[in-house]
Order: sequence, then C-alpha cells, then structure tokens
Amino acid sequence: MGLCHGTLTAIPSGAVLNHRTLSNGSSLVTAAMPDAALTCLDFWCRGGSAWEQRGEEGIAHFLEHMVFKGSRRLGPGEFDRRIEALGGSSNAATGFDDVHFHVLVPTDNAEEALDLLLDLVLDPALEQDCFAMELDVVLEEIAQYRDQPDDQVLQTLLERSCSPHPYGRPILGWESSLRRMTPDEMRTYHRRRYQGPNCCLAVAGDIGDNLVERVVNGPLAGLDPADDLDPRDAKLPLMTFNSGRDCIRFPRLEAARILMVWTVAAASDHLEVAGADLATTVLADGRRSRLVEHLREELQIVESIDMDVTTLELGNLVMLEACCPEDQLDRVEEEIRRQLELTLSTPVSEEEFARAAQLVGNGHRFSLEAPSSVAATAGSQTLWGRRRELLAPEEDLQHWDASTLSAGMMPLLQPEHGFTLIARPEEVA
Amino acid sequence: MSSCGDLILDPVSTAGVLSAKLWIRRGSSCDPAGQRGGHQLLGSVLSRGCGPLDHLELADLVEGCGAGLRCDTHEDGILISLKCRDLDADRLLPALGWMVRQPHLEEKQIALERDLSLQALQRQREDPFHRAFDGWRQLAYGPGPYGHDPLGISTDLQGIQRPELMQLAAEIESRGSTLALSGALPDRVSERLEEWLGPAPNATTTVERNACHSERRSGTDRRSIGLHPLATEQVVLMLGQATLPHGHPDDLALRLLQAHLGSGMSCLLFRRLREEHGVAYDVGVHHPARAAAAPFVMHASTGVDRAALSLDLLIRSWDEVLHQTIAQSDLQLAAAKFRGHLAHASQTTGQRAERRAQLRGLNLPDDHDQICLKQLDQLQASDLRDAAGRHLQQPQLSLCGPSETLATLEHLWNQSDYGSA
Repeated sequence: MGLCHGTLTAIPSGAVLNHRTLSNGSSLVTAAMPDAALTCLDFWCRGGSAWEQRGEEGIAHFLEHMVFKGSRRLGPGEFDRRIEALGGSSNAATGFDDVHFHVLVPTDNAEEALDLLLDLVLDPALEQDCFAMELDVVLEEIAQYRDQPDDQVLQTLLERSCSPHPYGRPILGWESSLRRMTPDEMRTYHRRRYQGPNCCLAVAGDIGDNLVERVVNGPLAGLDPADDLDPRDAKLPLMTFNSGRDCIRFPRLEAARILMVWTVAAASDHLEVAGADLATTVLADGRRSRLVEHLREELQIVESIDMDVTTLELGNLVMLEACCPEDQLDRVEEEIRRQLELTLSTPVSEEEFARAAQLVGNGHRFSLEAPSSVAATAGSQTLWGRRRELLAPEEDLQHWDASTLSAGMMPLLQPEHGFTLIARPEEVA
Repeated sequence: MSSCGDLILDPVSTAGVLSAKLWIRRGSSCDPAGQRGGHQLLGSVLSRGCGPLDHLELADLVEGCGAGLRCDTHEDGILISLKCRDLDADRLLPALGWMVRQPHLEEKQIALERDLSLQALQRQREDPFHRAFDGWRQLAYGPGPYGHDPLGISTDLQGIQRPELMQLAAEIESRGSTLALSGALPDRVSERLEEWLGPAPNATTTVERNACHSERRSGTDRRSIGLHPLATEQVVLMLGQATLPHGHPDDLALRLLQAHLGSGMSCLLFRRLREEHGVAYDVGVHHPARAAAAPFVMHASTGVDRAALSLDLLIRSWDEVLHQTIAQSDLQLAAAKFRGHLAHASQTTGQRAERRAQLRGLNLPDDHDQICLKQLDQLQASDLRDAAGRHLQQPQLSLCGPSETLATLEHLWNQSDYGSA
C-alpha cells in the first residue's frame, strides 16, 4: 500500500460567502476557500442575448469574443499571454440572461489577474481590424454548430417553444444581423449593459484583504451607476411559451429523438427550482427512475432518456430527451406520455422521494469542490439579487415531500403543457 | 486490485466527499481479435449485477445513497469511479470488489448493454469530429490495439456473447489494478478494505503488464491521408502522428510542444488560425496520456472556402515545430502552462484520485508530476525541436467534409513534404 505523498491537502468545504454592494450598484461576492491553491475571478453581467434589441441579434456573444481582442491598455493577445504566463486560464460564456468572463490563477497571482480581467472586460478596444477578423471566427462557430445534428434539434425545439421571445433565438445570433454590425454599435451595447447595477464580481479562493480593497477601489466601482436607464434595458422582455407538437426531419441524424420542454416558474423561485430538480430526478435520473427503468431497462426501446432543468430568469426550462431507433418512435412517445400521465394517478412514493432528495442534494454538494464552480454559483446568484449561502439549495429540498411533489410539480410536467419535438433522420433518396 | 495491495490513500479535507477511482489495467487495447468493444461491454455489464446484488438492487443501493457510480473503458484501462458521502463508504465501497470479482454477467443484461452500445456507435457517426478522429486512428494504428474506438466495432460487438465476456472477466485483474481514494477517508480505511473488497484472487498481477502495447502502421501498409466524405458546411482536419508512451524520456518535451501549439488562447494554433486568419473557431492539439504510442494530433474545423488555407496553416505549424527552435519566451510560456495545467487538474477529489490511479496504472511513480516539474527548468528549446525530430516526422492527415473539398485538400496534401513522403 502506498500513502501518496503522505499529504493532507485541504479542499475547502462550505465556503462562507461575503456580499458587498459598491456605491454604483455593482456587487462583489467573495467565497473564502483558504486552502485552495487556485483563485477564481468570475465577472458577471446582465448582458446575455435576451437583452439584445432588434437588429442586435448575436451582439452579446460577439462582444464576448471581441473583449478578448484587447483593451485600450492591453494589445490583442496580451491578456491571454499574461494570464497563461501566470499559470492561469481564462474563458467566457454567453447565456440568454447573462454573460460571464472568468480566470483561474494560482492564488499568489490573483491581484494581477484581477487588474487584467477588469481592464479587459470593462474597457475593450473593439477595433475595426480585429472586429472584421473575429466576425469570421464567429461565423465559423455558427457553421460548426450547424454541422452538429444534436445542436440543430435542440435549437429547433427552443425556436418552436419560445419564439418570438429571445429564448427561442440562437445565442450566437443570425448571420444577417452579425454582418451588419459595427464596432460603434458594439460600443453602444457595451455601455448600455456593462453598468454598475448590471455587474457582479465573484471571487473564490484564498482571498487577501488587498484583493478586496483592489476591487472596491478599482474599475468595477467606476462603472456608470445607470441612474436613467432606457426602460427596454431595465427589464427582460416578458417570456412567451408555446405548447404543441411538431415532427421534423434533420439531415445526418443517425438516431431519432423525442424532445419535450416545459416552462416552470423562474430562477428566482428557488423552491420551485428545487421541486423541478426533484421531479426530473424521480422521472429520469438513474436506473431506478421511472422513465429510465420503464423505457430503457424493461421495454428496451430507448438508447437513452434524461431530463434536466435550465434555470432562467424568466422561466426555467425543463427538458426531456430520448434517443431511440426511428422505428420505435411512436411507441417511445406513447410510453413517455403514459408515464407522465401516470404520475397523476400513482403519486411519488416515499422511497422515490428519498432517493431523489439524496441524488439532488449530493449532486449539489459534490459540485462545490473547486473554486471555479463556487465562483460561478455565487456570481450567478448574486448578479440577480439572490444572496444565498452555497448550501441553501439543500435546505430548499426540505420544503418538499413525496405528496407535495406529486401534487405541486407533476401536474405541470404533462405533455399538453409542454412542447414536443419529434426529430427523425432525413430520408435517404 | 488486491484488498490491500495497490492502494493509494489521499486524505483531503472536504465537506464529507469521497472519490474512489479503480483503474484496471485492461482496456480496449486488450480487446481480443474479433472482439473489438469487448472490454467496454464487460465494463458496462459489471454494474448490472454483482456480488449479492442484482442490477436493480445495486442501483437501489447507489442511487439511494445519492452516489455516482460509473465505469468507463479507455484504451489502456477500465476506470470505475465512485463518488459518495464519506458516511456511505462502508455500504458502497464493497461494490467495487463485487464488480471486479463477482460480476453476474447475465445474458439478458449483456444483450441490453450490447444493444445500447450498438446504438451509441451509430449515434457517434453524427459528429464530424468523431468521424475524422476515427479515420485518423485507423490511419495511424490500423488493426493495432489503439486502432478502434473503445466502444468497439459494430460487427465485432454483435458477436460477443457471455462466454467471451466470462473469459475477459476471468482475466480482468491479470495485469493488476489500482484503487485510489481521495477526500474524507473512513477511519481505518486500509484495514477495512480487506473486509469490504474481500480477499484477492490468486492474482498474477506481475505478468504481462505491458503486453497490450499499441502498434502503429509502418512500411508499405502506411497511408498518409484518409478521406471521410460527409455533407457538412465545414471540413474537419486532423493532422497528427502516433508518438510516445506517457513517461517516455521525450514525453515532457512533447507535452511542452502541445502546450505551445494548442493549449490556451495564447497558443500558436489559436493565434495563427483564429487571430491572424479567422479561419476556425475550435483549434487545439489532442495528446492524451497513454501506455503506448499516444496520438499527437492538431485539429481544426473550417469552412470549405478556406479549408485549403487552414490545411496550409496546419502544415506550416507542424513544419515549424519540426525544423525551428521556439523562442525562449515561448518556451517559458509553455512551461508556465504545463505547471498551470497540473494545478488546474487537481482541484477536486475526483481529479486527484484519477490522476493517482492513472499514474500507477501506467507504471509510473506517484511523484511523476513533481519530477516533471523539476525537469522543466532543464529543458531547452533545442530539446523540444530534437524531440519533434525524433517523433513527429511522419504526420498523417484525416479529413471529414464535403467530397469536392476533400479532393482539393488531398491534392494539396500530396504536394506537401508529408504527403509525398
């Protein structure tokens, strides 16, 4: 037996959050993980694709690309070189509601990384030469997604169920609107969205006082406080959701798919989020979940079937996806419908509930080991005004039991309330 | 895995989280002839009934504890992963022993998993990246042990029945295995493992540890290009060579070249293909840790109208590492990325346990990464160029995309030094 290096290295647990609001309305949340070797700095902005106005489709994501092309002080590529020379990494992601930019660096280099990150994100150069080149890259990214049948099926489902709301539009935007964009329009969008109350910085790791001081007195505090916002920029457009059913053939699909989507409450309703997590786990997480056990284990008519919950500010999306041979499609759809309907007459049992509560609770706890996942959780919640402790979702589970889950959630997840997309492989001539 | 043999304990302070990784030194590279996919199928059936539990009782146990249990078959080994609360370790760790030493291998469960594998193989064909890499794998390794996806080949999978799996299961510990535990460890864990896992079989753990080394194609059998027509918008390009085992004396030099070429947004391929020419979104270098000749593959996907330029840029980048010495500043940057990568890859208990099990699985010392860090300062830029000269002389190209574009690219490739070699 070998005791590996004989070390007792601490991956911190249950990090305590500290929330601050700066004078301009921006937020800082810190998660103290004193034994972490790395520190994550995660900048969040209420600037996802749902905030785009007509003609701006794709600008939020395109801006995310352009930010990495440098600021007025950092030349193209300089940010990447300097962060990676520190032993760090960086990335960004644009969603429907928000966008975030994060760096992960050895703790000793966190202050330098902070200066670089905030400079890059808050003062991007958006130069014409880089703009034209990066547009080509974004168009290649769109083409790459178009070549993935899985992505095409998912995008079609969102389009059918959520249009004309922005949740029904590709985050990457449309080629036509992207080609018409200019650096000036992007600057305007950046000024409009990257304002104090729309921004939050999350820091997770071994955080010194100097780092906090640097944030409080740095460029985050210098953002416009946005006292006179255009009403269109103050609120996201109201969500629309279309129930229904459609059947479409997709090129190069090798296996048929059945997708269903429902909208359930919104991200701010954390008890409903917990209920949706529990319900989807009862239905489709693990061999003992109802859909997996019945369709994959007993009937053996699907290759896979799963459900997940996407938390969004205007309405969480609960999605179900089953993959199966095309000749089984009708039967699979019928059995899914039957199982969903059965939840109304056969309530969730105590055993099913206990199993789901364990899986959801542990899944949450297991996801909080690394500074990057802690910063992402704390940042996304704080950005939207939800100042909750990291393990609060475990407490939310305790508000449910088998009977309230049956009565409160299962009726929402019935086929007639959702949108069903049947995706068939294209017929070969 | 003897009950108290190749065991690694890595105590880490966590919120009661324990990760266990059991690495068994028999992966898809050990699939017998005509049974490609055999070890993957075996791995998938291990949790479908073992020891005193049938497939549903085991699911009840694992899911009832809110734990995660999965089995993944890689080229060099089968990796069983368990993540749970430390409080549940007593109940769950015995399952690892049952899976390896007492699998039921019931016909019905085998048939179900075989069918799922066949469907998964079919679905993989949707992804042009997968097709291109599968093609490259064929070019580089042919019928050798690394020549097929661990999931297998449909025609072979269809023929694998219970007797074949019984044979594979009987040999599963023939090359030994390693159990790594990371996180909140139960009290007296090493003593209790014998109780949980049972006695070791009459193991032959010292035999043929390296018997599954991959062969690569050579001589007249070797083609330099493979074309995989598909009606897509983009072309996926994969340019690479079968190189070295993890831990080879030149491995660190190639890892630094990987960092220089394809790691992070400051890397050469990112700068050249994305920032200077805007021809691709996703670029990088695939160079996994393997027991034998690991792939070293540059990859990019690009629109058909700029595919020729992208291929030219990839070839030029390959040429550069082969014939030019990288700048001192680039060497330092690559070393910083390598250090950063090691730190990034050991943040969670799962990552830590897996790396420790993997190192033992590859017969490398526990402090292999620390040794590499010490060696970093001694490596010169010329060492990287020399290592490239020894291992990257004969790249092979796999392409997936519209057939007309592939024909154009094939013509260009054949005119290059590597295509005509």
